Amino acid sequence: MKRRSVYYIIFAAALVIFFAADLFLGSVDISVKDLFTTYIGKDILINFRLPKAIAALLCGIALGVCGLQMQTLFRNPLADPYILGVSSGAGLGVALYLMGMSWVGVSAEGTVFQSFGIAGSALAGAVLVTLLILYVSKKMEGNLSLLIFGVMIGFIAGALVNLLQYTSNAHALKTYVLWTMGSFAGLTTAQLLILAAIVITGIILSVRNIKDLNAILLGEDYAASLGLDVKKIRVRVLVSTTLLAGGVTAFCGPIGFLGIAVPHIARFIFKDANHRTLVPATILIGATITIFADTISQLPGSGTVIPINTVAALLGIPVILVILWKARKYSN
Amino acid sequence: MAELLKIENLTLGFGEKVIFRNINVSEENGRFVALAGSNGRGKSTLLKTLAGLDSIYNPQSFNNPDSLQRSEKGSILYKGKAIAEYTKKEFSSLVSFVFPSGRRTNNLSVKDMLSIYCYYRTNWIGAPGEDEEKKISKALEQVGLSGFENRNSANLSDGEYQRITIAGALVQDSEIILLDEPTAFLDIANKFMITHLLKEIAHTSGKLIIFSTHDLQLAMDMCDRIWLMTESGFYSGEPETLMNDGTMDKMFNVPGLIFDKNIKSFTYDGGFKNNKRV
Repeated sequence: MKRRSVYYIIFAAALVIFFAADLFLGSVDISVKDLFTTYIGKDILINFRLPKAIAALLCGIALGVCGLQMQTLFRNPLADPYILGVSSGAGLGVALYLMGMSWVGVSAEGTVFQSFGIAGSALAGAVLVTLLILYVSKKMEGNLSLLIFGVMIGFIAGALVNLLQYTSNAHALKTYVLWTMGSFAGLTTAQLLILAAIVITGIILSVRNIKDLNAILLGEDYAASLGLDVKKIRVRVLVSTTLLAGGVTAFCGPIGFLGIAVPHIARFIFKDANHRTLVPATILIGATITIFADTISQLPGSGTVIPINTVAALLGIPVILVILWKARKYSN
Repeated sequence: MAELLKIENLTLGFGEKVIFRNINVSEENGRFVALAGSNGRGKSTLLKTLAGLDSIYNPQSFNNPDSLQRSEKGSILYKGKAIAEYTKKEFSSLVSFVFPSGRRTNNLSVKDMLSIYCYYRTNWIGAPGEDEEKKISKALEQVGLSGFENRNSANLSDGEYQRITIAGALVQDSEIILLDEPTAFLDIANKFMITHLLKEIAHTSGKLIIFSTHDLQLAMDMCDRIWLMTESGFYSGEPETLMNDGTMDKMFNVPGLIFDKNIKSFTYDGGFKNNKRV
């Protein structure tokens, strides 16, 4: 059997184990037997832990594949799903929604509209930023200038959010800050289904990008000399990454670090740059690590939950540091 | 039947600046052609324009009276058709371009790397079929790297890597192969091996191969024809003809630099101090 297949099996097995652990080791201290037999146990399992674990699974799948495509497209090891300002756009959308609501004196707090309002405004912000980037990408020759443009858009959106935060009331501010910390919890069945549909569509599009992403590995100019339309490839990658990153951000907030770290872990373990290997690898590793991070974030048995972004950063930053440390040899 | 490649009155330039004018030449299948010229003369630009990577420079699109008077846009015809008349896919099976050496892809197996070159003939996730795998093996055999399919491209030597990129052009299976300084960073053994290899490919498979080089001696010895980009204009012809009619002497306008037919290379007597012109 090929080494690659062995790794796939190992990660698939790890995914199943971590998924089970995520279900069984919640913040509420309850035995596995009680989870399945008692009324309250079933309620916790089906209405809280299962949707949360599924949300974590979908986000992990989405962020890994999204980060991989960005890193390949921009030939930049520090590119992540949000590098073109998708999360800043989503953040601006949410900030406008939350603080706009507080200005007009309407509150959807505690109702089902609140979470849909946040998700909808986040998605709208992400899509608007991407439409702008897509428009610009048609005019620009090189990916590097597009990258710089995207980062600048992100800064502008960030500055506008700061302005909104400065002028908003404490309550809206807190809701916004909590959103930026990211959470897999509290998704309704309908929201989970929408998220699943978005992620699955994004993954299908990403799989269809495999061939083009491989060609980009040789360099944009080489791909062009092989008869490929580099601008078209860029659009395809942007559409799939927006679905993935935008979907995650809309329903779970801007989850950072996993998008950078997962593709590097995949390359490090599989020692292969071919996207036929890396796309399935990032799906498996992304899902496994995210579920693992989610398990840790609920501090099993403690009764409290820490924000997923904090855990993701603590897991992801060491990986980025190792990459920088290894890259130091090649930087000159 | 129209010529395989016909260039008429082509101008090269950047922005408002015209760097070369009046390129006229045509070539046929099975020829091994060297493109020589001093630095900055526009060799790479010419090759990239031929490969369709740069569009044909149009001096008349700039508001520059100087270029308007003296230069025209010119044309490049492949089998009587302009590049724009081919689809990208058709053109990729007509012309391939090998970029200067020194660029690497990481951690890609040689087979995976070569299967990118037959982009239009692989399946939807880019995996090569049986025919393409055979073509990849054959290309590797031709460049003297049989059995390298599963090697990691990151662990190849510079010479081996350059041969893999040539194998890539063979896998792409175009009628014309353009190479920008394929031997620039290579030692003399690799330089000879790769030039011989290219000549053999041109002569046995009937491909037209055009490569840019600074090694005139090698070009004189090995090539069927030479394109010269000199200060006084564009010249093309067989090496013997160019040597005998004094064209070679016009290549550089440097006092004391003289082309010696016996060694097929330039000699230099430090004559710039005398301010003599050749």
